[in-house]
Amino acid sequence: MLSEPFSYDYAPYQNRPKIVWPNGARLAFWVAPNIEFYEYAPPESPARSVWYRPEPDIINYSMRDYGNRVGFHRVADVMVRHGVRGSVSLNVAVCDHFPDIIERCCELDWELFSHGIYNTRYLYNMSEDQQREVIRDSRETIKRHSGQDLDGWLSPAISNGETTQDLLAEEGIKYTLDLFHDDQPMPVKVRSGKRLVSVPYMMETNDVPTLSFKHISPTAYLDIVKAHFDQLYEEGAESGTIMCVPLHPYLIGQPHRIAVLDEILGYITGHDDVWLATGREIAAWFEQNYYDAFVEWMKPFNRAAAKGPTA
Amino acid sequence: MSVPADYLVYPKRRSGPDHDRYGHRYLATAPAVAWPDGKHLLIWVTIHCEHFPMDMPKEPFVPIGGMDRPSPSVWDYSTRDYGNRVGIFRLMRVLDRHDLRATVAMNSKVAERYPYLLDEMLKRNWEIAASGVDMGRLHHGLLSKEEERAQVDEAFTTLRQLSGQPVIGWHSPAHSQSSHTPELAAGAGARYIADWINDDMPYRFETETGALVQMPLSYELSDRKILFLHNQCTDDYAAQITAAFDCLDAEAREKGGRILSLSVSPWVIGQPSRIAVFDRLLESFLSRDGVAGATGATICAAWENHDEQVGMEDE
Repeated sequence: MLSEPFSYDYAPYQNRPKIVWPNGARLAFWVAPNIEFYEYAPPESPARSVWYRPEPDIINYSMRDYGNRVGFHRVADVMVRHGVRGSVSLNVAVCDHFPDIIERCCELDWELFSHGIYNTRYLYNMSEDQQREVIRDSRETIKRHSGQDLDGWLSPAISNGETTQDLLAEEGIKYTLDLFHDDQPMPVKVRSGKRLVSVPYMMETNDVPTLSFKHISPTAYLDIVKAHFDQLYEEGAESGTIMCVPLHPYLIGQPHRIAVLDEILGYITGHDDVWLATGREIAAWFEQNYYDAFVEWMKPFNRAAAKGPTA
Repeated sequence: MSVPADYLVYPKRRSGPDHDRYGHRYLATAPAVAWPDGKHLLIWVTIHCEHFPMDMPKEPFVPIGGMDRPSPSVWDYSTRDYGNRVGIFRLMRVLDRHDLRATVAMNSKVAERYPYLLDEMLKRNWEIAASGVDMGRLHHGLLSKEEERAQVDEAFTTLRQLSGQPVIGWHSPAHSQSSHTPELAAGAGARYIADWINDDMPYRFETETGALVQMPLSYELSDRKILFLHNQCTDDYAAQITAAFDCLDAEAREKGGRILSLSVSPWVIGQPSRIAVFDRLLESFLSRDGVAGATGATICAAWENHDEQVGMEDE
């Protein structure tokens, strides 16, 4: 078992190369709706239990099914009203189960990236070849249903293997969302030396940990997201920051919560120096303009750092 | 390291859901529903009247409100029983004031233990819906079908006998079903179940013993989730219920009839610090145009009528 992920180098949050986003923006804002499918009768996982009650766990299954029946369209309607595109964290089997959802995402010019096949099939304990098969299935499925290239990755249920980031780079993925170590994009260290960008996907502003795990009320969630934004917007003047709001239509798309999304998007888009971006646009801008500068700048901080097993 | 090869095989990866209970429907594009009397938003108050035995099993899981402390948990037991003695009568006063009839999702044990309470409900013409025998007898995947059938039958038989009502609704205690529960409820004469929480509107639910209506009894908006499980304050509860009302009211005007499901437990909302808030919420909602209260049975019948008409238009 590894003692650390060995996926990134140390980088202090001061005196960093100055990131400037397109049109002089100081904050890149992106919204990641998770469009997920949790299986009614999933196979057992060697690493964790899948459901919470004896199967069929209909309360938990149907709670998530709400997102695809009801929540998705409500969330999409609010985002359209604010001119905000989504970068969809997609369990790609949704393409097969509910193609109408994918059709609307494409009409709205949303990006689709992979969040695995189902949210009930984890990468835990998979061989490298098995993980490659999941990545390739994702690439082919997204291409077939949307014509889009697969650029981004968030592991299903954030399940990682020790070499998952290496495999992503080798399979042509351009950015990963699995690392929560920073508020700016970062180069990811992978064994092939290929370029892989870590784009911040934020758990503090994610509706699952807040509304569901931590039992935070919608009003308090709104306050958290606004305060999170205010701080990052201020810091972005020094070097461009990122603000991500990861969403789950089964939670934020509920009648008692949807108005909070409306307020969040109204608040953030009401600021001048915000770039309304997608995950792949952020990754590409960083890769083209700042990747090398960050690698160079980080070297002095990592002379004594442990070498990864694959370095 | 690897996982078995069939971990990467997906036999239910197909169009629609991965089971055969219902077809897929997007609420956003579903045919508009017209509720009776020109109403667009129906407020469905469901009161959970439950008995939590002090010796209830801890397996396979303890439902919300179950015995959480070392046995004998007099604290937990008497706190729940408070609902059937005190809280429920506060709720009755509030509902009477607004001329609202509730659906009571009732454990049959409550009807047996407290005939006076059942009588007070019947006097008000409230709807009695079956909700198992008691909270120690959950419905779940580890029960045999025969054990479960006995529980379902006992609940319906007792409640029909004691209430004299047809009892056509079923709510599985703690929203917990086995894969047989819908068949057993349908077999016992249920017309609707209210367990799945995947929609804001009813839909047709297939069983081997005939189709049921699956009614949208809210869990996310229930007092036991917001106030008890999530420990939020009453202001937060009121804000969420109001936000849900505003959303559904606006949607109903544009897209057809909607339901605001208020799922309440007398041991939670019937506390002195909370009941007035519930009263004020109802007051505010019922003063709006096009809003009325309805029981589950009334909504179910209106839905069946709608579904039949839509079916005929399709043919």
